[in-house]
Amino acid sequence: MAQPLVVKKDDDCDEEEYYSPFLGIEKGAVLQEARVFHDPQLDARRCCQVITKLLYLLNQGDTFTKVEATEVFFATTKLFQSKDAGLRRMVYLMIKELSPSADEVIIVTSSLMKDMNSKTDMYRANAIRVLCRIIDSTLLTQIERYLKQAIVDKNPVVASAALVSGIYLLQTSPEIVKRWSNEVQEAVQSRAALVQFHALALLHQIRQNDRLAVSKLVTSLTRGSVRSPLAQCLLIRYTSQVIRESGMNTQGGDRPFFDFLESCLRNKAEMVILEAARAITDLNGVTSRELTPAITVLQLFLSSSKPVLRFAAVRTLNKVASTHPLAVTNCNIDMESLISDQNRSIATLAITTLLKTGNESSVDRLMKQMTNFMSDIADEFKIVVVEAIRSLCLKFPLKYRSLMNFLSNILREEGGFDYKKAIVDSIIILIRDIPDAKESGLFHLCEFIEDCEFTYLSTQILHFLGNEGPKTSDPSKYIRYIYNRVILENATVRASAVSTLAKFGALVDALKPRIFVLLRRCLFDGDDEVRDRATLYIKLLDGEATVGETDKDVTEFLFGSLDVPLVNLETSLWNYEPSEVPFDISSVPKETKSQPLAEKKATGKKSAGPAAVNGPVPTVDASYEKLLSSIPEFASFGKPFKSSAPVELTEAETEYSVNVVKHIYDGHVVLQYNCTNTIPEQLLEEVVVFVDASEAEEFSEVASKPLRSLPYDSPGQTFVAFEKPEGVLATGKFSNILKFIVKEVDSSTGEADDDGVEDEYQLEDFEIISADYMLKVGVSNFRNAWESMDLESERVDEYGLGVRESLGEAVSAVISILGMQPCEGTDVVQNNSRSHTCLLSGVFIGNVKVLVRLSFGISGPKEVAMKLAVRSDDPEVSDRIHEIVANG
Amino acid sequence: MGFWEAFLNWLRSLFFKQEMELSLIGLQNAGKTSLVNVIATGGFSEDMIPTVGFNMRKVTKGNVTIKLWDLGGQPRFRSMWERYCRAVSAIVYVVDAADRENMAIAKSELHDLLSKPSLGGIPLLVIGNKIDRPEAFPKQSFTEAMGLKAMTDREVACFMISCKNSTNIDSVIDWLVKHSKKKN
Repeated sequence: MAQPLVVKKDDDCDEEEYYSPFLGIEKGAVLQEARVFHDPQLDARRCCQVITKLLYLLNQGDTFTKVEATEVFFATTKLFQSKDAGLRRMVYLMIKELSPSADEVIIVTSSLMKDMNSKTDMYRANAIRVLCRIIDSTLLTQIERYLKQAIVDKNPVVASAALVSGIYLLQTSPEIVKRWSNEVQEAVQSRAALVQFHALALLHQIRQNDRLAVSKLVTSLTRGSVRSPLAQCLLIRYTSQVIRESGMNTQGGDRPFFDFLESCLRNKAEMVILEAARAITDLNGVTSRELTPAITVLQLFLSSSKPVLRFAAVRTLNKVASTHPLAVTNCNIDMESLISDQNRSIATLAITTLLKTGNESSVDRLMKQMTNFMSDIADEFKIVVVEAIRSLCLKFPLKYRSLMNFLSNILREEGGFDYKKAIVDSIIILIRDIPDAKESGLFHLCEFIEDCEFTYLSTQILHFLGNEGPKTSDPSKYIRYIYNRVILENATVRASAVSTLAKFGALVDALKPRIFVLLRRCLFDGDDEVRDRATLYIKLLDGEATVGETDKDVTEFLFGSLDVPLVNLETSLWNYEPSEVPFDISSVPKETKSQPLAEKKATGKKSAGPAAVNGPVPTVDASYEKLLSSIPEFASFGKPFKSSAPVELTEAETEYSVNVVKHIYDGHVVLQYNCTNTIPEQLLEEVVVFVDASEAEEFSEVASKPLRSLPYDSPGQTFVAFEKPEGVLATGKFSNILKFIVKEVDSSTGEADDDGVEDEYQLEDFEIISADYMLKVGVSNFRNAWESMDLESERVDEYGLGVRESLGEAVSAVISILGMQPCEGTDVVQNNSRSHTCLLSGVFIGNVKVLVRLSFGISGPKEVAMKLAVRSDDPEVSDRIHEIVANG
Repeated sequence: MGFWEAFLNWLRSLFFKQEMELSLIGLQNAGKTSLVNVIATGGFSEDMIPTVGFNMRKVTKGNVTIKLWDLGGQPRFRSMWERYCRAVSAIVYVVDAADRENMAIAKSELHDLLSKPSLGGIPLLVIGNKIDRPEAFPKQSFTEAMGLKAMTDREVACFMISCKNSTNIDSVIDWLVKHSKKKN
C-alpha cells in the first residue's frame, strides 16, 4: 500500500524558487495512470493525485478528445464506491471540470442525489453544486424540494451551495427557481455572511425584471437587517439602481435612500464604505452637499496604510474630479503626498486628479513632477496622463506652451502605438482649439514623422498637415518634411505625402511651380498608387483634368470629404458585380448610426478626438434591402429611403417577442414585424399582424405577407405594406394585434399536433413620425457645408420650449424630434451652461440635404428658448423642418 | 463460549476476507434496486423511484464483501451498461418475469450486451423477479424465452425469485458467495 509518492507533498511551497510539482507532466502518461480508478482495491490517495494531475492539465489548457474525456469520466464515476471524503471532493470537481456531454453525465445523477441527502455537510453542499450543473428541468422538479430545504439549511456551506445553484439555474429554469422566493427570503435573514450575500443576489435576480419588486426589496432591507459586508455592498448597488430609475420624478425633494447610502459611509467594513462612497459619487446630478460626506471618507482612505484602499479612493476621486473638480480640492494636500507613492498606478491617478482640480499656477510644478516619473509607468497609465494634459490645456489655453512642450517631449520617447496615438490626437486637438499653438504643434508633428514607425500615424499627420499647413504664415517650411516621406517611407505613407503636397500646391500659389517639380519626380515611383496620385494631381493642378474646370472645384476635390460612410461604401463595393453598368456612388446608403462616444461623455467637452467624428458603424440597411427586394409584392415600390431601428412592441420576457422596423419608401411604407416565439411547447402558424391605421388617415393598407410558421426560438418576419401620398409628411399612430394559429408541440418528439387553435395577442402601438423621413447623415466640417448651401434656402424662426429639466434635455428632445445627426459633438451640453449651440445634418426624403443650426438659451426658471436656422437644397424642405418643430 | 465463537469467526473473516464486484442490470422496473435492498437490509418497498444513473452499494455477507453496481434500466443508460460490467466477478441480469410484453426486449438487450468481447467469460446470473404475480412465467418457459440454452461460452445460472416475498433470495446469495470464492 505504501508506495513511494511520485509527487512530494508541497508543504514547503512558500520557498522562493517554488514551481509546480506537476510541471512537465504528460497527458498520455496521466491518462494511463487514471487506470488506477478501475482497481478493485482503490487507493484513495493515489486516485486524488491522479485527479489533481488531470485537473492541472485541464487548467493549463490541455484538451481531451471526446474518447479520452468519456473514458476518464466513466472511470471517475467508479470512484463513488470510495468512502474517502477527500477523494469524493475531487470527484465532484472532476465531473464539473470535464463537463461531459449531457447524455453521459446523467449517469451520476442518482449518486449525486444520494450524496445530496447524506449526513456529511461537505457531501451535501458539493453534490448540490454539481447536480445543478448537470440536471435537466424534468429531473429538477424531482429534487426541487431538497433544494428548497437546503436553502434554509442550518449549515451555511450547504445553504450557500443551494443559493449559488439557484443563481445558475435561473438562466435555464427560471419558473422553478422563482418558486423558491420564500426560502430565499428566509436565507436573506441568515446570520452567516456568505449565505446572506448569496441569498440577496439570488432574490434580486429573481425579481430583477420587476422594478416595483426591486424597489420594495431595497426599501425593506435598507431598514437594517443586512449585516454581511458583501451583502451590504450588493444592497448599495441595488439601491443606486433604484435611485437611478426613479431619479427624474423626485427632483426638488430629498433623494430617496440617500440617508441609507450616507449611513453606510459610517459602516465598520471598508468595502462597504467604499461602495457607498462610489455610489454617491455616481449619482445622477449629485449636488455638492451630497458629495461632501463621501469625499471626506475617501480622503481618509487616501492616507490609509493599505495600497488597495489608497488606489480605490484615488481612482474614485479621479472620476469625481472630471465632473466636480471643486469638491475634490479639499483632498489636494493628501494627493500631493501620493505623487511619490511606491505604487505607480496610485501616483498616476493622484497626479491626473490634481491636474483636473489644480489651478493655473500649479500646472508648471505638476508638469515637472510628472516628467520625473513618466518613464516608470506603463503605457496605459501614460495615456491617462496624456488625456489629463489634453483637457488641462483646453482649460488653461495660456499654458499651452509648457503643455505642448511636455507632449512633444514624450512623443520623442519610446512608446507603443496606443500611447503615441493618444499624444498625436491630443496635439491635433490642441492645434484645432488653440490658434496660438498651431505653428509649434505642426512643427512637433513634422519632427515626429521624421522618425515614426507607425504608418497609421504618419498618414494621419500628413493628412492633417495638408489641411492646416497651407494656411500658416510660412507654408514652405513644411515641404521638406513632407517630401522626405516620399523619399524615405513605405508606399502608403508616400501616397499620402503626395496628396499632401498637392494640397499645398492648390492653396499656395507661390509654391505651385516647385510642387510641380516634386510631383513630377514622384511619377517615377515604384508603387502604382503613388504614381497614379501624382499623375492625377499634376493634371488637376494644371487645370487639364475634367473634374477641375475651375480652381474652386480643384480645392473641393482635394479637401472635400466623402459624403458616404466608408463602411457603407465598402459593403456596396463588395456587392457590386463587374458589368457594363458603372458603379454608382449615389446608390450607397448614407445612413450612419450615431455611436455613443465614451470620451465625450467622460469629459463633457467637445474635445472628442479626430477619430470621433461621426464614426460610422455598419448599418443593417444592406441586409434589409436584400430581404425586401426578394419579396415580389414590394418590388414595385422602388428603393427604400430609410429603415428605422427596431421598435419593441412587447415587454421583455413575454410569450412572444415582436418588434417592428419601419421601411420608408417614396410613396409607401412597409412595416416589418420581427417575431420570436419563446414557448418551446408551441408552434405558431399563419402568423399575421392586423394593423389598425384609423389614427393614421393618410395611410391605406395595400398588402400583407403572413408568416407561414413560427417555431420556437427561431425568429421570423411578417410584413404589412401601406400606401401614402408622395411628398407629404404622413404621420400617425398604428395599433397592432398579432393573430396566429397555435399548435401544441410534444416536447419529447418535437412534433406538432395537427389541430391548432386560433389565438391573438395584443401588441403595443407605435407611430410613424416625421423623424422617420430623415436620414442621419453627418458632415465632417459643418461650417464649410453650411456656407456652401444656398443662402436663399435659409429659414430662421424662434421658438419657446417652455419649462425644461435642463438644457441638455431640451437639446436631445429637439434632436430626436428631427431625427438628424448631431455634428462635431454638439449634442453634449456642458454642465451648468446657460446657452448652447447644436449643429445637425441629415438627408430628407427625396434626397434633400438639410443642415440645421440650433441656438438654445435657458432662463432662470428653466424656461428654454430656441432659435432654429435651417438650410437645405430645397427651400420647401426648410419650411417643412420648421413645421416639424412647430408641431413637435 | 458464544463470545469465543464470535471472536474466532471474526479472526477467520480477517484472514479469509473475500471481495467481489457485481453489476446489476436489466430493463427499467425489473426490480434491480429492490433486489439490492432485499440483499442488503431485507426490506422491501413498493414505492420506488427509477434509478437515474447508478447506485453503488457495498454489502457484507459472511466473510464476503460484495460491491454492487446497480444501474438504471431506462433506454438511455443501456449503452453505458457495458462500461460497468467489465472485469466484474459476475453479471446479474434482472428480468420482470411477469412482464410478458417486454420479454423479447429483455432478451435482445442481454444478448447484445454479452456479445461484447470485453465481457467474454464473465459468469451470468439471470433472475426472474416478481414470481409472486399470477401472470409470471414459470422457470421452464422463462429460460426458453430468454434464450439461455444457447449460451455456451460462459457459466449461466437462472433463479426465479420474488423480492416482495423474499422467495429464493437465499439461493441467490449462496450462488454469489460461491462465485466469489471461485474467482479468487
